[in-house]
Amino acid sequence: MITPTSDLLSPELLAQLERLELVSRKVFRGRMKGERRSKRKGQSVEFADFRNYSHGDDLRFIDWNSYARLDKLFLKLFFEEEDLHFYALIDASASMDFGDPTKLAYAKQLAASLAFIGLVRSDRVKIETIGQPARQSGPMWRGRRSLWRMLDYLEQISPGEPAPLAEGVKNFCLRNSGKGIVVLISDLMDKNGYTDALRYLMARQMDVYVIQVLSQEEIEPDVKGDLRLIDCEDEDMAEITVSAPLLKRYKQNLAAFVDGAREFCNRRGMSYILAKNQLPVDQLVSNYLRQRGLVR
Amino acid sequence: MMPALRNIVETARNYGAHAGGLLYERAGMLMVWQWLLLGLVPILIVLLYFLKLKRQPLQVPSTYLWHKSIEDLHVNSIWQRLRQSLLLYLQLLFIALVAWTLLRPTIQGKRLIGNRFIFLVDNSASMGATDVAPTRLDEAKKRAGELIDEMRTGDVAMLVSFCDGAKIEQSFSEDPRELRRRLDAIKQTDRSTSLAEALRVASGLANPGRSSNREDANDVQVAEAEPAQLFIFSDGKFPKVKDFSFGHLEPVYVIIGELEAANVAIGAFTTGRQEANPDQLQAFARLDNHGGEKVSVIAELSLNGELIDAKPIDIEPGDSTGVEYNPDNVETGVLKLSIDAKDALALDNTAWTTINLRRRGKVLFVTADDKPLEFALNTERVRELADVTQRTPDFLAQPDYRKLADGGGYDLVIYDRCRPEQMPQANTLFIGRLPLSDDWKAAEKVDVPQIIDVEQGHPLMQIVEMGNVLIVEGTPLFPPSGGTTLIETQAGAMFAIGPREGYEDAVLGFVIIDQNNFVGTNWPIMPSFPVFVLNVIEYLAGARASLDSGSVRPGQPVAWRADTPAERIQVKPPKDVPFEVSRGPLNTFNVTSTADVGVYEVRGGEQALGSFAVNLFDINESDVRPALELAVGDYKVEGKTSREPARRDLWKIVLLAALAVLLAEWYIYNRRVYV
Repeated sequence: MITPTSDLLSPELLAQLERLELVSRKVFRGRMKGERRSKRKGQSVEFADFRNYSHGDDLRFIDWNSYARLDKLFLKLFFEEEDLHFYALIDASASMDFGDPTKLAYAKQLAASLAFIGLVRSDRVKIETIGQPARQSGPMWRGRRSLWRMLDYLEQISPGEPAPLAEGVKNFCLRNSGKGIVVLISDLMDKNGYTDALRYLMARQMDVYVIQVLSQEEIEPDVKGDLRLIDCEDEDMAEITVSAPLLKRYKQNLAAFVDGAREFCNRRGMSYILAKNQLPVDQLVSNYLRQRGLVR
Repeated sequence: MMPALRNIVETARNYGAHAGGLLYERAGMLMVWQWLLLGLVPILIVLLYFLKLKRQPLQVPSTYLWHKSIEDLHVNSIWQRLRQSLLLYLQLLFIALVAWTLLRPTIQGKRLIGNRFIFLVDNSASMGATDVAPTRLDEAKKRAGELIDEMRTGDVAMLVSFCDGAKIEQSFSEDPRELRRRLDAIKQTDRSTSLAEALRVASGLANPGRSSNREDANDVQVAEAEPAQLFIFSDGKFPKVKDFSFGHLEPVYVIIGELEAANVAIGAFTTGRQEANPDQLQAFARLDNHGGEKVSVIAELSLNGELIDAKPIDIEPGDSTGVEYNPDNVETGVLKLSIDAKDALALDNTAWTTINLRRRGKVLFVTADDKPLEFALNTERVRELADVTQRTPDFLAQPDYRKLADGGGYDLVIYDRCRPEQMPQANTLFIGRLPLSDDWKAAEKVDVPQIIDVEQGHPLMQIVEMGNVLIVEGTPLFPPSGGTTLIETQAGAMFAIGPREGYEDAVLGFVIIDQNNFVGTNWPIMPSFPVFVLNVIEYLAGARASLDSGSVRPGQPVAWRADTPAERIQVKPPKDVPFEVSRGPLNTFNVTSTADVGVYEVRGGEQALGSFAVNLFDINESDVRPALELAVGDYKVEGKTSREPARRDLWKIVLLAALAVLLAEWYIYNRRVYV
């Protein structure tokens, strides 16, 4: 049993995560045999069904006992066990470096948790960031033994990648043609909007989960007086004098933003989950993601 | 101009306009440079605000939502801008309030109209009434002071106090502080009231008189008329003012005093001798109830401070009651009568009268031979009252006579059928001759004039019964103006008295005994003759005057006759320090400083000469119910009982408001209360 000492995953969390597994709502063909019972029929020890023999079927799967009794050829079908592609796409832009814990740290922890579930279940796990160059593909891990390497990789992710969301997602899609589960962990705060990015993901026919991470400061801004707000990504400035109507209007806009993203995802078969950085990751995984069907 | 700055400036202008309306009243108080200095303060605040408004930079994940929010809110009109700089506005408001406080803001219902004001403040005795606390005079001063405070720059006001005369406390002045100071200096007097002089003083500038002759149609006005508002702060208790027109004066009568004020007063207090028993002194007093309810008082009489009698008196409302005392064995001293009334005016609850040692009159009787008169002048009673010297007419030519007559050596000279070459410095009684004066006229002699009337009210004719007196022949007299006919016959006046430079000349138009020793009248055998002679001695020789000094009202002069050879006497008034009086030209000491009621002691060196009393004895002053209107000439001035709109200081309230604004600003700044 591996007992990692990483900050990302505590032993308690690991113990909790070990009981879970990733679920895909779509039928994907795994490349390798995994521990996951596929919806497809294949080769495993678990009987699934019979069907009539047709020409060219593998004779090894003919149920000879039935043939002896009924004088008809039946083919025994078994459940297939296969592996799953799990992608975690982390937004490591400068805007994620806010909050306590920072949104990026939260995103990393969340990615690590989900990836660990995948590793345990022998799924193929890949973690990438938005700002990653188009041609540089990240490493892929499989099996529990890869946990360390995965965590190391996660630790190396630092904020401040200057990449528009849409472009980053597009690069991700170009790099990874495999189907599977993709979890986009971002704050979606891109001045050019998030819709293009999500459309790319949708186009790949992946099982898409969008987890929007917002910090407490964004949800309940604790500001006063006359301020010049500076956008950490593009140095854009906004001069405000904090007043009750302004705060009210901000919250309305935030709510509208969140609702818009949720609506967008729901209409397109994507799952949207809002994660506040104050909500512990274990609760998020064991409660919210479970409800959403990402894990079980 | 930046929109924000324009916004601020506009708002500041709005504040200025708002504050300006309130500040307007005292606007005249500041110089131009002071206004400029004051105007710099808000500008400075705005500048400081902009300096302060170096907005604090704050890094945020994204300005995306903020931009959106700002844009949304900018759609919302000017209110949002106003909110944005709420603190600035609060600061400006605070400064405006503080500046306003420094300008001494006040509120008032009505402003003083015009720019010339005359304040007449009544300080007569009745203004000492306490029906309005503390006294009416204080109330009048307070009201006048409130009006003085309302004066603006350029307004001028004159302050006049009046009682029986008028005193210009402050001539037209722009300085409210000086006026206030003079107003505070006005003192209560015990004097009676007369508005006429004050009105004449007041109208001097408003209605410049013609140069001299009113009747002259060609006469021109000598100065430009200066209209003024005339405020009369009084209870209105004075005689009607005749022959006065307000002209350019606009009178405002401010009634001072409660309309239902009640007062019980000693209206008169005097002493006399019983007719039957001249040694027995009698004291008479009249008590007046100037009120709406019946009152019971105890009137206490004391002699030299010792109570000698007391009587309970009931007085019906609006009525008067006499009270009489018969104190025994009173030779000299001060009689004091006091009542224990709890009323508005305390001044008239005490009265004094003084009984001085009888001063024997000095009488010169000049006659050739007049037995009946000589006999009448030789009675025991007359000898008690006066020293009578009898001389023949030759004496009139002698230097001794001249010296005594001119030097005031006699109180009375009786010229029987003779006449001096020069009138003496004394009262005179002429018998059968006219005084040496053009004022006295006489008609042709008439035979047996019938007496038809006797003026018994005059002291000379008191208790003199002339019913069966016959006169053989007599000369009808025409006394000078101011004279009084004492015995009227069908032919004219047979006995008259007239004034002469402070003395009195009595003239009998018929003789007692003529040159031929024939009887001119049967009067000497009548009982009334010695009475008449006694009256003459008592009245003209000053014997009565010495019994009691009579009723002297505050401010009236007292002519003190003294036997003392000293040239100066000392008078000790009831309140102030003693003063000296020199002998006057008429051989009397004229005491004019009689402003206060009470007993004035008179001393000649070490010797106490006696005393005289000054009493209010004025129905107008004692009846403290204020008059509702003033009758001046043909004009009636309605009184105002309601308070004149007063100036009320607001600065405390404004300062409190400023503090509240400051607190609100502090709270908003620190507690992040967003409006």
